[in-house]
Amino acid sequence: MTALRTDRLVLRKPTMADWPAYRAFYASDATRFTGGPYDTKSAWSFFAGDAGHWALHGFGWFILDNGEGAVGACGLHHPPHQADLEIGWNTFAAAQGNGYATEAARAILKIAENDHHQRRLVSYIDAGNGASKRVAEKLGARFAGEMAAHDPACEVWVHWEGAV
Amino acid sequence: MPRLVDIPMLETERLTFRAPEIGDFDALAPFVMSERARYVGGGADKDIGHAWRILATLCGHWHLRGTGVFVAVRKDTGAPIGSMGPWYPDPWPERELSWTIWDSDAEGKGYATEAMIAIRRHVYADLGWDTAVSYVDPKNTRSAALAVCLDCVIDPDAKAPHAEDVVYRHPAPAEVLT
Repeated sequence: MTALRTDRLVLRKPTMADWPAYRAFYASDATRFTGGPYDTKSAWSFFAGDAGHWALHGFGWFILDNGEGAVGACGLHHPPHQADLEIGWNTFAAAQGNGYATEAARAILKIAENDHHQRRLVSYIDAGNGASKRVAEKLGARFAGEMAAHDPACEVWVHWEGAV
Repeated sequence: MPRLVDIPMLETERLTFRAPEIGDFDALAPFVMSERARYVGGGADKDIGHAWRILATLCGHWHLRGTGVFVAVRKDTGAPIGSMGPWYPDPWPERELSWTIWDSDAEGKGYATEAMIAIRRHVYADLGWDTAVSYVDPKNTRSAALAVCLDCVIDPDAKAPHAEDVVYRHPAPAEVLT
């Protein structure tokens, strides 16, 4: 997967040019629902980890580029401590409120329907993160009261259950 | 299975070197979650998610920097025994040559020395590095001994990523590439 294109965004793998915006986001209070803010060292491990996930599983995180640079990240990942394949999204602070995460996630879900329809696909969302839950709702995901086994503060929003 | 591409091929008498891959997780994760990894970002308090992120970070470094650590594989058993090579995350002050031996059974056999001599030649001759350092926690006596064995000398003026780290500077290319 090299890149995806939506109406307003190019979704592509992370490069070093994206690092300043990514680092600034993780240093900000906007990451409070995922354990932030984070120092540079931690942010680098997320950034390089996002990039490296592609080599491990063949899918991973995209950087969302609106033509002026990185405005967020969105992708599929499945680290071993999480029960299910997850689609996650972040919109960097200056770009929030534009619907970028929803637009990017829709494009990635379309790919995932093809490649991963047989597996359960979820989003783990902090119970207090209303903005992210609204994105999940717009994407058609639903919350059935289940909390994440790896993080009891996170709700499990289900995109599809997959083959039984 | 996906693979990183355009990874240089290196080998020594007893080892081959390749990119990190998902199959390395079974050897890497127990190391990261053990006290043996306490000087290199791991430790007994770390969980499997942390170990996964380290493996993903090793892979992502190749993608972002165009270089990265190799996984050393024993020719006689096929076992991956550690990660070694270029390491330059932010906020590292300069490019490092790093090493870890995952399996304690592979310690004390000279594998890291054998590997680092070959990889140091590679970064000087093929990647064009003009200098290299290795950052060592002062309590990590095994790594300090290896740095000395590799003819590194302590550089008291060089910046380190952590205040307590000792900076070992490797011999210059002209001293190694003869």
